[in-house]
Amino acid sequence: MTNPNPDALLETRGLTKRFGQFTANEGISVHIPRGQLTAIIGPNGAGKSTFFNMVSGAFAPSEGAIWFDGRDITGLAQHRFAHLGIAKSFQVTNLFPDLSVLENVRVAVQALESGFDFWRPRASRRDWIEKAERLLERVGLQDKRRFRAVRLSHGEQRALEMAVALAADPKLLLLDEPTAGMSPEETRSIMDLILALAQERTVALVEHKMKLIMGVSDSIVVLHQGRLLAQGSPDDIRANEEVRRVYLGKGAH
Amino acid sequence: MNLLSALTPAATRHRVLLSIAVLALFPLLMPFHALAINILLFGLFGAGYNLTFGYTGKLSFGHAAFYGTGAYGCGILIATHQVPWPVAIAVGMALGGLVALLIGALAIRTRGIYFAMVTLALAQCVYFAAFHATSLTGGDNGLRGVNLPALQLGSWRLDLLQPLNRYYFMLGFVAVAIWVLSRILNSPFGAVLEAIRENEQRARASGFDVERTKLLSFVISGLFCGLAGALSAINLATVGIDMLSYHTSGQVMMVTLLGGMGTFFGPFIGAGTFLAMEHALTAVTERWQLIVGLMFIGLVLFFPKGIWGSLLARIDR
Amino acid sequence: MEITASLLLQQLFVGLALGAIYVLVAVGLSLIFGLLGVVNFAHGAFYMLGAYVAVYVYGLTGSFWACLLLVPLAVGLLGLLAERWLIRPLYGRGVDYPLLLTFGLAYVLVDSVRMVWGVQGEAFATPEALRGAVDVGFGVFPLYRLFLIGLCAGLLLALWLFIEKTRLGLIIRAGARDPLVLKVLGIDVGRIWLLIFGLGTALAGLAGLLAAPLRGVNPEMGGSVLIEAFVITVIGGMGSLVGAIVAGLLVGVVVAMTTLFQPEFAELAIFALMAAVLILRPNGLFGKS
Repeated sequence: MTNPNPDALLETRGLTKRFGQFTANEGISVHIPRGQLTAIIGPNGAGKSTFFNMVSGAFAPSEGAIWFDGRDITGLAQHRFAHLGIAKSFQVTNLFPDLSVLENVRVAVQALESGFDFWRPRASRRDWIEKAERLLERVGLQDKRRFRAVRLSHGEQRALEMAVALAADPKLLLLDEPTAGMSPEETRSIMDLILALAQERTVALVEHKMKLIMGVSDSIVVLHQGRLLAQGSPDDIRANEEVRRVYLGKGAH
Repeated sequence: MNLLSALTPAATRHRVLLSIAVLALFPLLMPFHALAINILLFGLFGAGYNLTFGYTGKLSFGHAAFYGTGAYGCGILIATHQVPWPVAIAVGMALGGLVALLIGALAIRTRGIYFAMVTLALAQCVYFAAFHATSLTGGDNGLRGVNLPALQLGSWRLDLLQPLNRYYFMLGFVAVAIWVLSRILNSPFGAVLEAIRENEQRARASGFDVERTKLLSFVISGLFCGLAGALSAINLATVGIDMLSYHTSGQVMMVTLLGGMGTFFGPFIGAGTFLAMEHALTAVTERWQLIVGLMFIGLVLFFPKGIWGSLLARIDR
Repeated sequence: MEITASLLLQQLFVGLALGAIYVLVAVGLSLIFGLLGVVNFAHGAFYMLGAYVAVYVYGLTGSFWACLLLVPLAVGLLGLLAERWLIRPLYGRGVDYPLLLTFGLAYVLVDSVRMVWGVQGEAFATPEALRGAVDVGFGVFPLYRLFLIGLCAGLLLALWLFIEKTRLGLIIRAGARDPLVLKVLGIDVGRIWLLIFGLGTALAGLAGLLAAPLRGVNPEMGGSVLIEAFVITVIGGMGSLVGAIVAGLLVGVVVAMTTLFQPEFAELAIFALMAAVLILRPNGLFGKS
């Protein structure tokens, strides 16, 4: 395989995923540029979540390769991905329901350290707790830290999702529909956070709200029926005939 | 916030001391000391099982294999080879962990509910092997002569044939065991177990090697159950083949469920309740299995948190 | 004892007959597991019930054919009741609860049978019409076992046709993939669950009836069958009906063959087979990964 693009933090070549007879992703070759905010868009069923699942290690690709920061990571076990610096926040809220808000994040911080400690009390690791509290402050949940995660409101849970993903201190942050089901104010504050995050790390997000992302993304990837339709800057995409026909043409919202 | 829920954090911090205190007082408050020892040891068995079932969330149907192996390991060494009891107990415990490693390595590769099926079938292997190795285990007739009549240290002698003495001898082991268990549960490793129980997928995505952790928790559980088995062998002076049967696996499940899964003291409460009921009811009826079955159904449908678990949940509210 | 080709063939045949019984049990278990996600720990108890209901019906009617009809109906009906009142409340509560409940249910069923019929067990003779043996040219085979294999094959064919070719079967297959699909289509999911559980337990009960002339009837007969059914499911592959059939026959043959040479190792042989499968193909021979 030829050398990966040095400007790309993540690059895929011919990435394919089949579930029995059904092909969810076919031959997707894209790159996610370092330090930029990339949006992944496409109509329902385009295979965006499947793509994200492969790139975060949840699914093993049927074919193709994934390169991260110059390294071939195809087929690595899922739990290695956090250690590499790739973290994903899930489309459907995926937390530790009966654990406290603080514990949700603290345990994610702990996960980065390998090895097994059977003896010391967890509370004695102040560094983990402090890091978790700082992350909670960042997403505005520090006052709710003793609450059980399942008792938070939907918007608060999405914020906690974000904090848990950030606990891995990822180079690449994958956000799967981060504003789903949120009110306009909640959407605004999450987007502010995402934009702030995009200043310090590479962010890729899957989104449906076109107006939201067209204005803020540096790079856009369009998927359609499991394949790559186009990739480029927002202007490139706006001008792309095929994209207009398939997606934007249906009435931008 | 009432008085009880204000006390809970302090109680949790001192749960080992409180548990040992309760267990130390227990036989003094009831007349059936032999039953008390059975409760103590089955409680330990349950505490070991709880690690896999209550804390990690994996339903295993094969834990009798670790308990029974611990019993046979210790029993055979003492009865047939006159090995000193500290060594025999240690070996029994280690064998429990070893069998857990073997069964776990095979079973953990399977998904979700299949785990119960596979652990059951693999534990049956062990039952079958012990059943047919009659020269070693006595087969269907069991192993006799696991005798430890007294502790001798110079001129000091503790008569272990007295149930009360035997209880406190065993309590020494149980106390250390639950102290170690508490530290494990409180440690970062314990946090990973909880995370896996709450959301395995999320735990993996966060970076935990879930399979390796599950196997470790299974082995630790096997060690505790092996210890309970080894002590039981000494307590009863015999080892029966039924200690390896799936009915015993069912009993430890019942005890953990009845007491409260995922609670620290629950298994002992469960063991106490279950064995006391068995003691009382088998004297008046032959339909004990029917009663146990109805209890299972009732617990699952109406009372899944168990006795201690429900109590704790009430206090927390 | 001289090992001739004829003896081997005979024993192979015995194995297939035994396998046929295993297949019925395993397919029932697999149906319930694959479509409802419930590991039915009472499956062996329903098998045992089938044998006892047969004893009862035979006592009343003197007709084996009446048993063939009534036993699956009776046991299936009991399965329906169990699903509706005991298992259904547990859906959505986590996968372990139905398992624990059915474990308790097994104890209840077994001890209830002991209450009614005692602990000794009953005899069940091979029906008159099916006694004796048939010469098929290359060997002489017991008629009852031939009947067993034939009946089982016929039932499996009927089951396959039902699931693959009928509308109800299609609904079941769709529901297996995604219960939400059924709700959206306005189909009563509850009825489907009832049907599957009833069908699964009916198959187990029928297997118990068919096994009675061969293996006798006693309250503990379900215990070992349950474990064998689990081993078969692990070997064949979780949730795979083809796997249940292949593995059931395989296990039957293995048990019969090892019984011929070294009877004590019959059980060990299937456990060894299961361990091998777990090491080499953890999802079973036909399992989906």
